[in-house]
Amino acid sequence: MLSSEKLAIAAHLHVLLRRKTGRVTDTEWMIANVDYAAEVVRFARARAAEDQQPDLADWARKLEQAMVGRAPVPVAPAPVVAMAAAAPANSPENRYVGRLR
Amino acid sequence: MRGLNGRWWWAMAMAVSVLAMCLIVAPARAQAPGLTAPGLAGAVAPAADPVAAAPAPALTHPGRVPQASISGADTAWMMTSTALVLLMTLPGIALFYAGMVRRKSVLNTMACVVAVAALVSVLWFAAGYSLAFTPGSGWLGGTQRLWFAGLDYLQPLGMVSVSHVAPHLPESVFAMFQLTFAVITAALIVGAYVERMRFSAVLWFTGLWTLLVYAPVAHWVWEPGGWLAQMGALDFAGGSVVHINAGVAGLVGAWYLRPRRGYGREAFEPFNLGLTMAGAGLLWVGWFGFNAGSALAADGRAGLAMVVTHIAAAAGALSWMLGEWLVRRSPSLLGLCSGLVAGLVAVTPAAGYITPGSALLLGAVAGLACYWGATGLKHLLKVDDSLDVFGVHGIGGVVGALLTGVLADKAVSGVEGHLLTQAIGVGAVAAYSAVASLLVLWLTHVLVGLRVDENDEQTGLDIAQHRERIGG
Repeated sequence: MLSSEKLAIAAHLHVLLRRKTGRVTDTEWMIANVDYAAEVVRFARARAAEDQQPDLADWARKLEQAMVGRAPVPVAPAPVVAMAAAAPANSPENRYVGRLR
Repeated sequence: MRGLNGRWWWAMAMAVSVLAMCLIVAPARAQAPGLTAPGLAGAVAPAADPVAAAPAPALTHPGRVPQASISGADTAWMMTSTALVLLMTLPGIALFYAGMVRRKSVLNTMACVVAVAALVSVLWFAAGYSLAFTPGSGWLGGTQRLWFAGLDYLQPLGMVSVSHVAPHLPESVFAMFQLTFAVITAALIVGAYVERMRFSAVLWFTGLWTLLVYAPVAHWVWEPGGWLAQMGALDFAGGSVVHINAGVAGLVGAWYLRPRRGYGREAFEPFNLGLTMAGAGLLWVGWFGFNAGSALAADGRAGLAMVVTHIAAAAGALSWMLGEWLVRRSPSLLGLCSGLVAGLVAVTPAAGYITPGSALLLGAVAGLACYWGATGLKHLLKVDDSLDVFGVHGIGGVVGALLTGVLADKAVSGVEGHLLTQAIGVGAVAAYSAVASLLVLWLTHVLVGLRVDENDEQTGLDIAQHRERIGG
């Protein structure tokens, strides 16, 4: 896949995430760094499931396919293709959702 | 919601008008005769004559007394207390709050606290002190001390101005001490609307709120002619005047501004809880000035107030920690810091009236109550009170004020508490704070707009409002 095509996918996902979740992402870093792309994909899929946003999941899949073709996908501990399990309520990711204390 | 250009000019015109009014009134008052208290004219003598041996009648207004009648020890302690209380704001509250917000708004949070401190200081000098601490009606003080008019130290005459509230202290010291209370009250509210309120709106809201809400409530409770003071409501150091007042104003502000974008969906991770702990430490130590200083003397009552303050803080920290440990299965640094503040808040109205044993109970109850206030109650209210100002200060203030009515020991202070009287005071302050704060918010909204736009909120207020970045 051409670099410009990957950038287009990343940019589209960036706009969707910004509009639907408020999350700001780094488009260029998304196509330059596999780990960052994997995290964005994980986040987009989690929000897609939580907020009933199928287009988020769709574009997350496209980004994943684009990045998987670029570099080997780490199998462990958290493969890109696997949706990240929901974090426990007390995890740092969820501890500060809707509350500070 | 940006203000229009027309609004900006109107706002400036209003500000200039208020300033002009103060400048017109202040010189007239300063030239008014009879600033010595009634009945004291005969006893007040020039420096060359000895002070009359007969005790002077109690002051009912601010007035001048011989310098020799000032207590040096009390004055020294009160100046120290003033510095301690100011440290609670600068940098105590600044660090406490900045550590809890997201990275992108840390500098804005600190800037708000610094700006609030500066603005309230000037307004206190201009009008706040007079409106709060000079006789007037039961609802509001007079204009006797606008721009600190008549607040004199006259070395050639050996005379110094004193307040009727604290005639053994130079009025300059008393006024400064009370200034630091006004400053911290306004600074506390910042925590409720942080990360989304325009900086200009913070200034306008704070300025109007200090004069229209804080000064009247302080007058009700602490000026002898105030209606709550006349009723016998007990508030040693500001449970109602400071904490309930700020807590309710914060809740109303947070509601009016609506939640932050992403609230309830995204994790708003605190920037650095180490800063919060540093701030909490400054609050704990500074609170000795807040409570023990409210004795207005370096005496046994101040000493006891210091003891009960410390015990309540410790109890609050431990009880919050215990509650959190049971509910969330692990204690947290933020919980410890929040609990100690909860204990300090609750003991504030009670510090001059209760025993150390009562302080332990009070702090423990407050720790648990405020934990619920910042968690369960917050969930019920569905208001994005960013840093739980209502949950900690509002709820803690209510708990403390009501328990003062129950725990006040006549052997300590010579006064008894009455739960009903305390409840009336709590209700009155909360109701007035809610309504008046809402009006001030609406007025600020009309003048300059309240909330930053979506892009600025996403970018972070450090860049959007100040063009600064925390670095690192």
